[in-house]
Amino acid sequence: MTDVLEVKNLKTYFFTDEGIVKAVDDVSFSVAKGKTLGLVGESGCGKSVTAMSISRLISPPGRMVGGQILLNGRDLVPLSEREMRQVRGAQISMIFQEPMTALNPVLTVGYQIAEAVLAHEKVSKKEAWSRAVDAMKAVAIPDPEKRAKDYPHQLSGGMRQRIMIAMALVCNPAIVIADEPTTALDVTIQAQILELLDSLRERYHLSLILISHDLGVIAEVAETVAVMYAGKIVEIGPAMNVFHNPKHPYTEGLLRSVPRLGSSANAGEAKGRLYAIEGSVPNLLHLPNGCSFAPRCYKKTVECTLSEIPLEAVDEGHLTEVRCIHA
Amino acid sequence: MPDVTEPLLSVQHLKKYFPIHRGVFGSVAAHVKAVDDISFTINKGETFGLVGESGCGKTTAGRVVLRLLEPDSGTIRFDGVDLLSLGKHDLRRKRRDMQIIFQDPYASLNPRMTIRTIVGEPFAIHGIASGSERDDRVADLLKTVGLDSSVMNRYPHEFSGGQRQRIGIARALALKPKLIVADEPVSALDVSIQAQIINLLADLQQQFGLTYLFISHAIPVIEHISTRIGVMYLGKLVEVGTSRQICSAPKHPYTQALLSAVPIPDPAARKQRVVLRGDVPTPINPPPGCRFHTRCPIAVDRCKIEEPPLRQIEDGRDAACHEI
Repeated sequence: MTDVLEVKNLKTYFFTDEGIVKAVDDVSFSVAKGKTLGLVGESGCGKSVTAMSISRLISPPGRMVGGQILLNGRDLVPLSEREMRQVRGAQISMIFQEPMTALNPVLTVGYQIAEAVLAHEKVSKKEAWSRAVDAMKAVAIPDPEKRAKDYPHQLSGGMRQRIMIAMALVCNPAIVIADEPTTALDVTIQAQILELLDSLRERYHLSLILISHDLGVIAEVAETVAVMYAGKIVEIGPAMNVFHNPKHPYTEGLLRSVPRLGSSANAGEAKGRLYAIEGSVPNLLHLPNGCSFAPRCYKKTVECTLSEIPLEAVDEGHLTEVRCIHA
Repeated sequence: MPDVTEPLLSVQHLKKYFPIHRGVFGSVAAHVKAVDDISFTINKGETFGLVGESGCGKTTAGRVVLRLLEPDSGTIRFDGVDLLSLGKHDLRRKRRDMQIIFQDPYASLNPRMTIRTIVGEPFAIHGIASGSERDDRVADLLKTVGLDSSVMNRYPHEFSGGQRQRIGIARALALKPKLIVADEPVSALDVSIQAQIINLLADLQQQFGLTYLFISHAIPVIEHISTRIGVMYLGKLVEVGTSRQICSAPKHPYTQALLSAVPIPDPAARKQRVVLRGDVPTPINPPPGCRFHTRCPIAVDRCKIEEPPLRQIEDGRDAACHEI
């Protein structure tokens, strides 16, 4: 299996007046062709900064300070801004959370999709427009010829997100990064978009990085799951392993703390308490020594706070890696 | 058999339409039928969950129940009194018994006030306790919601989202209310914090015998916390029942689709779901007949013309559908 994208030891820090925020600190993963990597974690864990670093969209005071980003074997880090512009949008494309703010309100959606084609390929405007209409057809927008002449406000949230997906796909990218693509959508529309993403991935052998805070969304589509906490991956492995047999106490806590559908079936009306991870996410300016999760962890021992905990394989096949000495 | 206990809250045929004006001084062009003839009751000590997608009218319903918005028609009976007959003065007195917790803990706390002033404000408004007695009460309230009383002189920006939500809850508890309307109280919070707040709300309910109207779009959260659930679609209640009835064996096709759309945090549970086609129609000009018929997998001709009433289909469960 070939890896389309390989991220090695990525470090992105923010140099603020109050100190250095290590938003992404030594993150490594790879995405194979036609596969989906799910990146999950709570706000501030660094999942979006990871995505922005891959497409080099980090602006000061943030800066990528280390690591390699290999796209089909080619390292993107040494590329000039001009070269990077050819990669971004063509080989790596992104889908954002809020389709209303990501689209230009004064241009038709067809024009905006066609613009992406014109920016990267030497084609006529007419050709670009027909590519845009085709992309809209691929994301199942009814009557695409007519809808292409609509402005963003004329479309519903779900339709706008389909436009974003069409725009991301129109140049046949090697990898698509979807950052919370369904968070702003209602649950019935979310189901449509997840189904669409999954079917497109299958049809075009897309590689996908799906970023979400919602464990349910990740479980729906990801083959591999990486759990992030305070800038680091704390657990990474096949979705089945991570969800069914979580090894890191944070992953375990997260999974136990979400209310499950069907909770009233067994317990009736007396559903009792949810498992809750005590405390809150640490301030990235003042991270504790050793394991960042230690202050909230029920397995914590003195060893946890002494030195940096490495990410290590915990099973025989070396499929799952965990950053915990008690795993 | 006569009803022994009157429900704490009884809402009948509640309607709230928002006019849409044409032009700056223009005439009313249309109405957004945000809440269109809903009825439900909440018994003392229970949690009634109101669930639905954006624009279904759940938040408006919560506001109207507290008379933060005036309804266009219908009746609201709360704690033995007809809420809509109360004058300004009496309503203010009655409001002690009904409080609200908001979704956004950033927008609902005044950034220029200290925690002491925020949590003590209900006492100030109602002229209860002052000086050191008020401080003592504020300290007690903070302790009740799991905060240290030493935070009294600090400002909202110094707290995390979860802590701010605790402050909002302390404020809602100040006057020992009977009913709390919780409008998406955990939606803005991270997963690990969400569980803490849900547990806190459950503990407080036990401790103070509180009754909740819990509004949320998150079905697993609603199921976990609610005794009974009402499902809303485009301003109407389409199904009401116990949380087990609604979540284990939904009868209305919309409830079924809604539940089926919830992503399950288990990759082995990837399932054949009922994916609803199309979008929610606008509440300005809702479809005639059953409002759900445009997306309903089992709609027949009758559904396009005749609006199904909410009727009892089994013990404890009401649904509005011709085909059940």
